[in-house]
Formats: sequence, C-alpha cells, structure tokens
Amino acid sequence: MKTPAGTLDIQRWDCAVPGREKTIWEGGLFKLEVTFPDEYPTKPPKCKFIPPLFHPNVYPSGTVCLSILNEEEGWKPAITIKEILLGIQMLLDEVNPESPAQADAYNLFKKDKTAYEKRVKQVVKDNPAP
Amino acid sequence: MDSDDEVNSVISSEDLGGDADSSVGDFGGDDSDVDFDELQEHDGFDTQEKDLKPRKKAFEIDHKVYSPEDIQRQQDDQVAEVATLLEQPHESTAILLRYGRWNKERLIEQYMDNQEEVLDKAGLGQDVQKSPPRIEVIDGFVCDICCEDTPGLRSFALKCGHRFCVDCYRQYLAQKIRGEGEAARIKCPGDGCNRVVDAKSLDILVRTDLTDRYHQLLMRTYVDDKENLKWCPSPNCVYAIECGVRKRDLTRVVPTVFCDCKHSFCFGCTLPDHQPCPCSLVKLWLKKCEDDSETANWISANTKECPKCHSTIEKNGGCNHMTCRKCRNEFCWMCMGMWSEHGTSWYNCSRFEEKSGLDARDAQARSRQSLERYLHYFNRYHNHEQSAKLDKDIFHKTEKKMTLLQSASDMSWIEVQFLEEASQALQRCRQTLKWTYAFAYYLARNNETEIFEDNQKNLELAVEDLSEMFEKPTDQLSGLRVEMMDKTTFCNRRRIVVLDDTAKRLKEGVSYNLHFYGFGVVC
Repeated sequence: MKTPAGTLDIQRWDCAVPGREKTIWEGGLFKLEVTFPDEYPTKPPKCKFIPPLFHPNVYPSGTVCLSILNEEEGWKPAITIKEILLGIQMLLDEVNPESPAQADAYNLFKKDKTAYEKRVKQVVKDNPAP
Repeated sequence: MDSDDEVNSVISSEDLGGDADSSVGDFGGDDSDVDFDELQEHDGFDTQEKDLKPRKKAFEIDHKVYSPEDIQRQQDDQVAEVATLLEQPHESTAILLRYGRWNKERLIEQYMDNQEEVLDKAGLGQDVQKSPPRIEVIDGFVCDICCEDTPGLRSFALKCGHRFCVDCYRQYLAQKIRGEGEAARIKCPGDGCNRVVDAKSLDILVRTDLTDRYHQLLMRTYVDDKENLKWCPSPNCVYAIECGVRKRDLTRVVPTVFCDCKHSFCFGCTLPDHQPCPCSLVKLWLKKCEDDSETANWISANTKECPKCHSTIEKNGGCNHMTCRKCRNEFCWMCMGMWSEHGTSWYNCSRFEEKSGLDARDAQARSRQSLERYLHYFNRYHNHEQSAKLDKDIFHKTEKKMTLLQSASDMSWIEVQFLEEASQALQRCRQTLKWTYAFAYYLARNNETEIFEDNQKNLELAVEDLSEMFEKPTDQLSGLRVEMMDKTTFCNRRRIVVLDDTAKRLKEGVSYNLHFYGFGVVC
C-alpha cells in the first residue's frame, strides 16, 4: 500500500477475499486491509475488512476474529499469508457462533437464518467481483 | 516478631483476663494459657499446629523466607525426584511439572493413568525425531517462516520435527522472552504444533543474556504457581516467602509476614501489613475511601437532604423556601418541615414543634449519622496514616539528632539507639492503629467490640505520649532516655495486646455490622 508520501509501505497490504463458490457468498469480493506489526512474524498481522463486513465474526470496526489470528490462541510464525486469507475465506461461510464479534449479524444469524442469508446476498450484490 | 520475648509473661495476666471476660460462659477461660492453646488446637490451621511454640502469639504467622538460590534448589530437587519416578529426562520432567503447576502427586497420578494424554497436553507430544535437538545444515532446506533457501543455512527443530532457520527461531524466542515475558509455555513456531521449547534447546539457540532472563521468568512462574509461595512485593527485593495460610482462611487470620529485606506485608493480599483488619475488609475499606472520603466530607459540611426523597441538596443562595428539583417537595431549609404548614411565618422560620418538621429532622439525623460514623473512623484512620508519615520525617531528623546527641552528651552510639527503636515502634503502632479504625468501622456493637476499643484507646494514648516525647528538642532528649525506652516498650506491648486479642476473636468468628459490610456477605 502507498504511504501518503507516495512510497510503498510493506507493513500494510491491500487484499481482497472472494466468496467461495457454491456458498451464499459466491460472486462477492471483499476488501481487506492486512497490517503487519513490527514484531511480525512472532505476532500475527491484523486483518480488517474495509468497509466493515456484515458477518457474525467481524467486529464493528471490520477487524476479523479468527483463532489463527489471535496471538493467545492459534497464531504461529509459520502460518503464511495465503493460509490466513484462505482461513478468512472459509470463515465467511463457516460462522463460528462461539465467538460473536458484532450484535447485528450474530443476532440475525441466530434468530432468522433466511433473513440473514437475504442480507448476505445483498452484501454480495453491493460488493461484486469484477 | 522481635520485641515480644519477655513480653508474654508480663502481659498475659491482663491480656488474657480481658479475653476471659469476652468469651461466652461455657468457654470460661480462667487458666488462660492452657485455654488458649486448646483453642489453637481446635481451629488452628493445619500447617501451624505441629510447630506451635508455647510463646507464639495468636497474631503471629509461621513463614519462611527463601532466596532465589533456595527456590532454584527446591525446583531442582522436585524435578530430580519426579524424573526418577516417571523415567523421563530432566527437561521433560520440568515441563511436565510446570504443566501440572508443581502438584507432584496429582501429576504422577495422571501420568500413570494416561501417559500419552498427559505428555501431549504438557507439550511433549509424539516425537518425530529421536536424536536430541541440535543445529543442523540440511541440503535443500527452505525456512517456512522467512522462505530463505541459501545453501548452508543453519536450521533447528524440536523433537516435533518442525524445522526453521536459526535466525527465525532466535527472533521468535527473543520476542517471546523479552517482549512478552513468556517462558514456561513457549511453543514450537510450527502451525498447530503444541510442542513446548525446553530449556536445553533454548540454551543451544540463544545467548546467555536471554537465557538468564528465561530462567528468571521460569522461577517467577514457579512461585506464582505455588499457593504457599509469594514474592515479596517490595521494590528490588529478590526474596520469596512461604506461608501455609490458605485463601479460605483469610477471614479468620491476617497473615502478616516479614521479609529479610525488612518489609512486612500481608501474605493474603500482598498489601503492606494491615493487622488486625482482615483482607476482605481492607479491600472494602480502601475502595470506600477512594470513592467517598472527600465527597462525604463536603456533603456533610455543605448539604442537607430533601425530607421526602433524600436527594442531597446544596443551598446556593435565596430564601428558606425550598422546592426539591427531583420530587417537587416544598420544605423549609431551616426546620426541614413542610412549607404548607408554615402558615404565615414565611421567610422567618422560628417553628420547632410541628410533627412533619420533627420527623424530617429525625430521618435526616439518621442518614447523616451514618455519614458521620464513616467520617469518624476515616478521619482517625487518615490521621494515623499522616502521623506515621510525619513520624518518619522526624525519624530522618532523628538520625541527625543521634549524631548530635553523641557529640552533645557523652553517650555512645549504642546508647542513642533508643531513638531509633522509639521511631520504629511509632511506625509499627501507627500502622496497626490505622487499621484498627478501618476494622472498627465494620464491627458490630457488642461487649467484645468494647474491649477492642479499650485496647485501641490504650494503644493510642501510649503512642501519642511517645510521639510527643519524640518531638522534644535535642538537648532534652538525653534526659528523657529512660522514660522513652519505657514508653517504647509499653507501646509495643499495647500493640501486641490489640493484635493478640483481635487475632483470637477472628479465629472464633467476629460479628460484623452487615449494614456497612454489604449485603449477603457472611464472614
């Protein structure tokens, strides 16, 4: 990613995660900002959807809640960026109800599956893959 | 702990006499010494019973001070013992023990039941490579972390077989140890691998400054893991204290311990010595003081309460006709009676007799009384805290005084030590007095509390006397020497009386004033 000064900042990456085929997320492409701390790879990078994504495991700020991205849980220096992005792609359809991160998506997911899926399809429509 | 050697015989009569008064009929404690020992046996704490010395006071707690070397030795001994039992190498045994929080018996039992599961959970899962880990150069190796593939790249793998280049490994370990203060639970950097990095591998990989820190951290986790060990909280102190008092005992005992660095603290909560007040009350009290004290003072001085809804009201001008903003109640600021009963004597209240006014003043008095009650105890608590600080200042001047005394009179250095002793006694006694007030705030009113307050008063009088002598100009001090030494001893004794009496009461169970203690808390 470019810094305001116009040089490249190798600690900030612009990424995008496509929805997997044969899931309700198919056809969408979701922009993700990956920030690497100075201590990387001992500490995990921070992954943030921009704009924040409607998903039970994404915080209102857009930050992704995933065990392999958590220093105290599953993060290991040997985990590659590819694995992280694939992990996030899997998370889109495989919601982890054990650690909800936003009330909106979580409540809808719990109470009204059809409404949740309808809402997701709207999100996909708003973020189409080119 | 230090000055009570000959004290016991002197004070036992009055002290235990007091105790006999307070105990309920059946206990009947005339032959006091025996009675006390029996009590200790009934509900004394298991660890103390065996080595109970006849001279020991009820408020004294058995404890031991350990140096870092002692602690290291303790760990090594336990590792060696368990290693032979489990037939595991030293390093693995240490990891197992850390995983089992140094509970040897439970660990051995679990290990015998299900060896594989325990090994796996402790981070010693299936070994892929049998040979001991070492730095190797392997042809065609690519580091999974940095993708480096230069020929001749030095790499390292634990027994799990996840191999990374030495640079990546070092950086990872340095960050974990120095950055995060992690030691006992550093895992292999491989994805999903649970293998714990052992001390030997660490020694192979990093330089001594980091291994030193690593071992220091391991020692810290050892003390933190053991319930009967605690670090002395004093800055830069390296000692740890062993004490058998458990968490659940803390309502009945206040375990003050003395570190070799001269710091005395409570083993239960690690705050500075707060005998005779139990930990839970100390916590409540400190919280209360933090929240309330200044505010309460101001409220008490500047406000009244609405007689109907008890909102606190400050009168910032105007006449005596008040309208409560909250409940719209109209009342007179002077007599607190309803405004409607005021008739024609508006703006000039001279009434006293009407019922509504009387009731309102009564309710107000009750509510204010609880505030005043708190302030009574707080002010005394605070006063002793302040005075202890002032006494300390004086002590620093004392050191100068001592040198002066030596030159002004022909006293030797030994002979002017009485000033230092007096100063220490003052510090200790004020510390105790301070907490007696916090304690008293929560006590229910009964005969025992009255005895407690008498003891408290006696100590306070003695302390103030000594404090006064202490401030005398230097030229008078040498003449006061004998008197001051007597007073010092007396203060120390009075302090022991207070502590001993309360410690015994705590053991038997104290009744607290639940209204102030908070609801639902049974102590």
